[in-house]
Amino acid sequence: MDYPLLLGIFPQVLLDGIILGFMYALIALGYTMVYGVLEFINFAHSEIFIVGAFVGVEILLSLRSAGVLDTLPWPLVLLFVLVAGMAISGALAVTVERIAYRPLRTAPRLIPLISAIGVSFFLQDLIRLVESIWRNAFNLVYPTMDQLNYRFELTETIDVPVKSLVVIAAALAMLWVLHVIVNRTTIGTAIRAVAEDQAAASLMGIDVNRIISLTFLIGGAMGGAAGVLFGVQYGLINPYSGFIPGLKAFTAAVLGGIGNIPGAMLGGLVLGLLEAFAASYLSLLTAGAFGAEYKDIFAFSILILILIFRPKGLLGEVVRGRA
Amino acid sequence: MPARFEALGVTKRFGGLTALAAVDFALDTGISSIIGPNGAGKTTLFNIFTGLYGADEGRVTFRGQPLLGLRPDQITALGICRTFQNIRLFANMTAIENVLVGMNTRVALGLWDVLSHRRRFRRTEGELAARAVALLDRVGLQANANDVARNLPYGDQRRLELARALGSEPTLLLLDEPTAGMTQGEAGALMRLLRGLVAELGLAIILIEHNMRVVMEVSDRVAVLDHGEKIAEGPPREVQSNARVIEAYLGTRGSGPARTRRA
Amino acid sequence: MTHAVLAVGLIGVSAWAVAVFPRSVLVFLLFQGSLLFAYVARIPSWLRVTLLGLALLVLMPTIGFFNGYYLEVATQVGIFVALALGLNIVVGLAGLLDLGYVAFFAVGAYSWAIPGSPQANLIFGGNAFPLSAWWFYAFLFVGLMVAAGAGILLGLPVLRLHGDYLAIVTLGFGEVIRVLANNLDKPINLTNGPKGITPIGRPPVPFGMPYSEAFYFLVLLIVAVVILVNRRLENSHIGRAWEAIREDELAAQAMGVPLVRSKLLAFACGASFAGVMGVVFSAKQIFINPESFTFLESIGVLAMVILGGMGSIPGAVLGATVVTVLNLQVLKGLSLWLNELKNAGVTVLGYNLADLPTQLEPAKYERMIFGVILILMMIFRPQGIFPVRRRARELAKQV
Repeated sequence: MDYPLLLGIFPQVLLDGIILGFMYALIALGYTMVYGVLEFINFAHSEIFIVGAFVGVEILLSLRSAGVLDTLPWPLVLLFVLVAGMAISGALAVTVERIAYRPLRTAPRLIPLISAIGVSFFLQDLIRLVESIWRNAFNLVYPTMDQLNYRFELTETIDVPVKSLVVIAAALAMLWVLHVIVNRTTIGTAIRAVAEDQAAASLMGIDVNRIISLTFLIGGAMGGAAGVLFGVQYGLINPYSGFIPGLKAFTAAVLGGIGNIPGAMLGGLVLGLLEAFAASYLSLLTAGAFGAEYKDIFAFSILILILIFRPKGLLGEVVRGRA
Repeated sequence: MPARFEALGVTKRFGGLTALAAVDFALDTGISSIIGPNGAGKTTLFNIFTGLYGADEGRVTFRGQPLLGLRPDQITALGICRTFQNIRLFANMTAIENVLVGMNTRVALGLWDVLSHRRRFRRTEGELAARAVALLDRVGLQANANDVARNLPYGDQRRLELARALGSEPTLLLLDEPTAGMTQGEAGALMRLLRGLVAELGLAIILIEHNMRVVMEVSDRVAVLDHGEKIAEGPPREVQSNARVIEAYLGTRGSGPARTRRA
Repeated sequence: MTHAVLAVGLIGVSAWAVAVFPRSVLVFLLFQGSLLFAYVARIPSWLRVTLLGLALLVLMPTIGFFNGYYLEVATQVGIFVALALGLNIVVGLAGLLDLGYVAFFAVGAYSWAIPGSPQANLIFGGNAFPLSAWWFYAFLFVGLMVAAGAGILLGLPVLRLHGDYLAIVTLGFGEVIRVLANNLDKPINLTNGPKGITPIGRPPVPFGMPYSEAFYFLVLLIVAVVILVNRRLENSHIGRAWEAIREDELAAQAMGVPLVRSKLLAFACGASFAGVMGVVFSAKQIFINPESFTFLESIGVLAMVILGGMGSIPGAVLGATVVTVLNLQVLKGLSLWLNELKNAGVTVLGYNLADLPTQLEPAKYERMIFGVILILMMIFRPQGIFPVRRRARELAKQV
């Protein structure tokens, strides 16, 4: 076995895992917050996430065709794209809840879940339809920005592109903002109250419908931000590329304890790292018999095992936990 | 040979809360009632007897056979069946289908019988239906056999639950507030029905009841639970005058059985 | 009486129309609509059975001689009817939302594809494979058993999970099966990976019938058996136990329903239908690869069950027909029609259709169809088009 190689790629794999982990964490927040409040798996969250990526790519492509992409300062562009992605994904999440979930809130639990699966599929093809008409293409590539692609060479084998650092920094900033919202504001208190006991919260004068909308807004916005970062980091997107990351992020949420906000972050990081290591090392360790393709099986197996043996996840199934 | 049911030192804790503390209970035949204020642990006791909860300590036996650790359906197969305090019928199935589900443990047909549809299958299905109709008749619901359970009035739903439980041919029947929501007249009729079942089939019945008049009229013995402890047991008159029982009820005025429920 | 005349007339006229205009999708849809009418019309049941039997056993195969594609559509419909009926047991009767159902279809398909093609030689060595064509019929049972086994294997660990968790785990299981099929071309080449397996053996056919006709009749026969089995299960203690679990799991258990055994049986029965059809599918297609067994297919079958009505046998048949026809005919027809308009340079309100984006292909929008079906049905008609009708029992003096 090639130990120097195994060791040599370690930092690179670690970095990849952390980036992937933050991505999952950001998406997982949307699942976990909604589950905390409604005990409902928002199956369409993966599409709300990928819509963020499409908003991002559309803005960047427009800027490029206007010829200003490389003249504007990149942090400003990125901030604008992030905010736009968050706004549209957040608004979409609220709309979806209003149309497809709210009428079903008192129905048996499987009914809104099936509706959510419907929304997920509908949105995938809606994105495809819109992009096909608008751009005559639905597999889109994020335009590159030179400064973002600059790579710091740490050693001969390891380098870190600026965009990865930006992705990590942005993810951390998002998580911090969410922490402040959930724990330091009245909105956060209201969300936690509704999660704890809807009837009691409404007796205390909290407008439950408004808080549920807000939860979808915040979760959707986080998903939208993750979408933009996903595009910046990995480049190629299509209307269906949200599905698998969404499923993995849900796995992360379950892994951390669904409904539990810090759990979602922890679960995201753990899953991202596991997956990155599985993808890089599985093939090396089995001499090519099992390759990186098995990383999905790996993630789903974790999901299945966790649900069967420790359905409350690593940190337990709570919503009121501090972020 | 009476079907002796015996519980010894049954203890159940939920986190730090002791729901049941070393409760003993025994019964051969006839009707025994368990009374006590809300939250005294009565339904918890039923859940343990029927296998829905495990117990932390103690033993429960029926005809000498230990019950703890058995699944609910195994316990039902042994001849113990129950009703629920908050009616749990199969809401979208008809009344007769509900009773037929209750007979599930008494059906000795396999997958192959069902698929091949042989004469044995058709005969058995016919017999089951006839018995189900007889049970519905017994509780006064023969006219509602094909009504969907969720559309039945409240009192009828309670009676249907009783018929469904009887479908499993129990020798011990556990009834959790069977008269809740019934008028005094309906409750009386139901109690006569229960008395008839005891006399005719030799059934043993454990009753959780808040309606004191019903309890005193129908029970052979009464046990009183308070905060998870059995504080008294004996014939109705004796329990009624027991000092600890009076204290328990007066101490929790307004939540105890002093408030007879009406529909 | 008017109904009877209408039903006979509709079927006759539409069948004649299909013969005259063998290429018109609309006319074929009319024919299908007439069958639906014959099913719901208020006519004596002997007439209903005669009409439907005549249509399915004589008219449809005859139409197939004029336009083979229609027979292909009818065969596909039959395959999906069986799948929908299988999923109907799991979702509709037992109330267990299985989002990875197509995995059992895949298991069945591969269980014939591998020994029915030279692929098995790569695994076992030698030259024994493909098996001779007669083996196909034996493998209908093998596929059934293997799929049922897979159902039990999946069921054992997951049945303790409730509602939505079960849904997600079955979805994960479906994906695992697909990823395995995609990657088990090494270290041992079991599935030949994404390239798929071909040529898969076809069964011997009596009277020199064309394969398309033979598969149509085979599928029809299997569907008939599946419907019979479904009805017998539904009207037995087994079916009642499933429904009781769907209605209230805890009460069902307290009434003596063994949860694990009943749920496993539901999974195994549902899976076995898919397994049999998988075997048929692989022989019919000659070629299979993992692309036929995606999550999309699972949701498609779910949409069929939901559209028709959960727990309803006629509902599953109708749902499977409508969704399959939408996919195979309406969407594709729309695509073709749009292309014709484009090529003809038609303008609508001053907009030249030739300027429409080339990527706009209505045929590709299956997901949108499934999505719309699921959302609308859940919001406006969760019981489906043909809701379950509770069977009123004959209760004459049995006492």
